[in-house]
Amino acid sequence: MDIATLKARGLIRPVTAAPAQPDAFPYGLGVQGVHEVAETAYGHWAAATGFVLGMLHPTQKGACLWICQTSVSRDAGHIPAASLQQMTGGREPRLCIDARKSAEALWSAEEGIMSGAVRHVVVELEEADFTATRRLALASEKHGVPVTLLLPHSCSGATAATTRWRVGTQLSAINRHDPRAPGQPRYRAVLERCRSTPAAVGQAFDLEWNDETLSLHMVSGLAAGSAAPRPAPSFVTRHGHQRRAG
Amino acid sequence: MAAGIHAGLSLKDARGALPGLLTEQIDRESDAAALLALADWMVRFSPLVTTDGKDGLLLETTGCDHLFGGEAGMAAALSARVSQAGYGHRLAFAGTPGAAWALARAVAEDGAPVILPSGAERTGLAALPVRALRLSGPVLTLLRRFGLTRIGQLYSIDRKALSRRFQSREAVEAVMLRLDQALGARAEPFAPLRAPPDYAARLPCPEPLSDSAGISEGLSRLTEELCAKLSAHGLGAQGFVFYALRSDGETRSLTVNMARPVRKPAHVLRLFRERLDRIDPGFGIDLLLLEALRTAPMEAGSQPLSADLAMTITDLGMLSALADRIQARLGEARVMIIQPEARHPPDMAERRVPFTGQLTEDTPPPPDTLPGLRPIRMLDRPEPIDAVAEVPDGPPLRFVWRRVVRRVVKADGPERIAPEWWTHLPTPGSGVQAMPRARDYYRVEDEHGHRYWIFREGLYDDRRGSHPDWFMQGLLA
Repeated sequence: MDIATLKARGLIRPVTAAPAQPDAFPYGLGVQGVHEVAETAYGHWAAATGFVLGMLHPTQKGACLWICQTSVSRDAGHIPAASLQQMTGGREPRLCIDARKSAEALWSAEEGIMSGAVRHVVVELEEADFTATRRLALASEKHGVPVTLLLPHSCSGATAATTRWRVGTQLSAINRHDPRAPGQPRYRAVLERCRSTPAAVGQAFDLEWNDETLSLHMVSGLAAGSAAPRPAPSFVTRHGHQRRAG
Repeated sequence: MAAGIHAGLSLKDARGALPGLLTEQIDRESDAAALLALADWMVRFSPLVTTDGKDGLLLETTGCDHLFGGEAGMAAALSARVSQAGYGHRLAFAGTPGAAWALARAVAEDGAPVILPSGAERTGLAALPVRALRLSGPVLTLLRRFGLTRIGQLYSIDRKALSRRFQSREAVEAVMLRLDQALGARAEPFAPLRAPPDYAARLPCPEPLSDSAGISEGLSRLTEELCAKLSAHGLGAQGFVFYALRSDGETRSLTVNMARPVRKPAHVLRLFRERLDRIDPGFGIDLLLLEALRTAPMEAGSQPLSADLAMTITDLGMLSALADRIQARLGEARVMIIQPEARHPPDMAERRVPFTGQLTEDTPPPPDTLPGLRPIRMLDRPEPIDAVAEVPDGPPLRFVWRRVVRRVVKADGPERIAPEWWTHLPTPGSGVQAMPRARDYYRVEDEHGHRYWIFREGLYDDRRGSHPDWFMQGLLA
């Protein structure tokens, strides 16, 4: 009798316990389980995308399965590989799938989870009901592949996902090199649902993208938001004399 | 026939002879399509089938007749099948295509096939009229004028004498070629409609299959057999075609394609199973065929045990299997990878290409195309916007995109991206007007914190068209 049969009959099972549910930010987003990221209102899709990309763990290596419903990409565009590289640092392979309907997208996501070939599945789609998210959650738990669903602002109601985030854009940080130019992008993510830590529901996180560490940092509005740079003193006043040529 | 109606009679004469005659317009295209379908269906008798003219089929039966107990048995089976499908037919077997053609057209009757043993062409054809030799009308007229009406009369004529009498070199050539081909003195090329596959498996069903469980079982047996064959030769296939031949003369087929060569039966079956319900068994399926397409050697590499030693963590085989399954369900060309392109316009700098089992090479882009800050979402095509901006090259102060007015509070730019002049080489007369225009890209942020990547197509003084227009290219992070 081989191990597979023993396992199938329930005579043996792995001793490793199920991974503990994380109870701090980001509550397992991009690491384990199914998570929903929705835009706060129409037009915040770029912010939701930025939030998801910021949460993709750069330490995890392997291909990413990116499923996009055609109606979404027609409205909000697609993600160029150049910006993906900027956001995540590496040049991780990405398999893109065009799905015409939500059902196709969800089916492909489940296939991707079960294939064992990808380390992360991201689905951009118009709607996902409780049954679909429950299926994905079960598959994700069994195979250990995290799933992130990017949903429009209209999504509401019950879900089987571990968390649901509402992400909207905020005015960018002060650009230290040019105060008139947009600085680092900032988002506001509100935790709308959270299965592992229900007490955290309603918490809002102000996040700022850091292009050096390639991650999202939490910012406090006051300390980092108002420090506008002063104009640099001119060369003449600093040195007290004119520099002579020659 | 009894009323004196025969082929070649004009419609008016026929109507005169029989006023109640029912007529129908001839439909050549449908006839041709039906003939092709019948040719496909003939694959149950021989893999090499071709059509002959508008109303004939030619089968290469060498090595196939013993499956039916000799040529007589094959003729009986073929005849039964074709009449069951409702076609009148005349059937002849011979050692050369020319002889078979002659016998089928001149001797055979419906239900009475003619079989001429190989090597007996000379005697078998001697009594047939010369029109059975596949000759054109003028040549037949010439032959008749010289009193040559039977094929046998041509045997004894000296070729030189014939060419002297004919005075047309082409006509002599034609007669001699057709005669030699019919007698087997000259080879005749045979071009089958479908090239026979290198690897195929077939499963005849004694009792016609009429349910999906039977088809599924048959398919899994065929897949096992074919994959074992491929495996014995160290090959894999990138495509499989499954044919179900119905007893009523119809053929149904399914094709699956893979990103890289495959020979694992479970994987192939999985792909077929997505669409197996599309096969309508009709009155029963009596022959199943499975063919392997685009066979290629498979690299039998072993995976490194430790993941650290692997060149890449991505298992291409598993990734291809995933892509195959998704394409089998969603349709072809739905699984894409993004390939960088050496193009100037940002919307052309990348191309989505179907995944073919290879990921993009892990090479850094050349330094001069290293992108600046690029948008996180690129619109499929730039959308025109109405913008109010400082002339000549200031960023817009406000603009309307998707019917919403957006007031710009922060802006950065321009980043000028020059057009690809080499793609629009001017013709001598066209001048500078027809040249593509440069684009000035700006990163702007509106009062609500939305960030956009917009561009002005053209400069104010480039003399390449009228006022420059503004476009939305994408959304910044």
